Amino acid sequence: MLNYFIMCRSLTYAQKAARVLERSGIAASVSRPPAEVSGEGCAYAVRIAEKNLPAALVALKSAGVPSGKIYMTDRSGHYSEVPG
Amino acid sequence: MIWLDNAATTLTKPYSVGAAVARAMREAASVGRGAHRPGALAAETVFEAREIADSLFNAGGPERVVFTCNATHALNIALRSFDLKGKRAVVSGWEHNSVVRPLAAAGAEIVPAAGPLFDREANLRAFERALTPDTARAAVCHVSNVFGFILPVEEIGEICRARGIPLVVDASQSAGVLPIDLQGVGADFIAMPGHKSLLGPQGTGLLLVGENAPIRPLLAGGTGSVSLSREMPDFLPDALEAGTHNVPGIAGLAEGMRFVASRGTEAILAHERGLAREAARLLERTGRARCFISDDPDAQTGVLSFEIEGMDSQTAALRLGEAGVAVRGGLHCAPLAHESAGTEGTVRASFSVFNTLSDAEGLARAVARL
Repeated sequence: MLNYFIMCRSLTYAQKAARVLERSGIAASVSRPPAEVSGEGCAYAVRIAEKNLPAALVALKSAGVPSGKIYMTDRSGHYSEVPG
Repeated sequence: MIWLDNAATTLTKPYSVGAAVARAMREAASVGRGAHRPGALAAETVFEAREIADSLFNAGGPERVVFTCNATHALNIALRSFDLKGKRAVVSGWEHNSVVRPLAAAGAEIVPAAGPLFDREANLRAFERALTPDTARAAVCHVSNVFGFILPVEEIGEICRARGIPLVVDASQSAGVLPIDLQGVGADFIAMPGHKSLLGPQGTGLLLVGENAPIRPLLAGGTGSVSLSREMPDFLPDALEAGTHNVPGIAGLAEGMRFVASRGTEAILAHERGLAREAARLLERTGRARCFISDDPDAQTGVLSFEIEGMDSQTAALRLGEAGVAVRGGLHCAPLAHESAGTEGTVRASFSVFNTLSDAEGLARAVARL
């Protein structure tokens, strides 16, 4: 299964985003992505299933929660950025 | 012992507070410092506390809730967020040293604006008059820690907003007792302790940060975010929360806030105010005490100051303590309030949601025996 990671600028924002998604019926969990995608270090992300990405982005936008870059992981665990 | 020093610290807490502290000490580690289960529990505990505070105080988002060591720490962050050297800072005439001293340390020109005790309208007009165009900052306590006087914070907020003057509110004596609405008041910052009427442990406090408030860290250090940078993050709450959180304290504070939310501030205020007014009636009847009680019940909380005829307030508090009644005497770290009221120190009895009528009666009996 493919996972998508929506980058957030802090743990609190990631937690806030996860709450918004859960309240919208979208399973989400806070995750710490690896250094290769963490920018300035110690970044956080919200992990969601592939099928939920469009609905998740709508939910976050309507709740006013800022979201950063989006990455996906394949079966080997490799991260690749999803074009906006 | 009858505990009537709740304006300093509430001693009786809901059972859930201690249980949450103990659980966090056993099972929770640091927030944002590890991917393990104790770290995740710490993160979830602290985030839940932010959500509760956000809901209770209409902060505008959990990220606008900053955890501090106490209200003084929160006020120092807030008051040092502006360059105040040589600038005019208007305060009410009822401020605690936790407001006055940081302003003095910042080199501000402190302008107190006071009207008669318990006269909300006169105090509002005095504040309005003092807000001249060159005023850089205004700071006001919601409730006087000495007299329980409720200041018209909403109206002061409205005037400050209209004039574009940043406002800091010290909610040390109102959080958990009166409704507090950050977005409604429009203050830049509202500071409060966790260990008074929010019923949390000592060593906890909150700073609510308004949408347009400047963010200037008082401390710098690790935040678990943007770690490659030597600068502090510029986003909340990380910018104002360097170092490891007091996770057990915050866990306890969350339970205290849950208790307040479940009871409701209206019921809590009515209970505490009712006890204070009954205590005043009984104290006056002893013929020994002169109470500072408002004719308008809406202008006072459950904090009651009084003087004992022919006895210094510290001595009276000491002797009442020996008789098993815990009150506080002296200036209560608020010399400005005494200057405004024309007093040189008072005995203060402050009631909490856990006090009962028998506590008020016990106080009056002990004063009668002095």
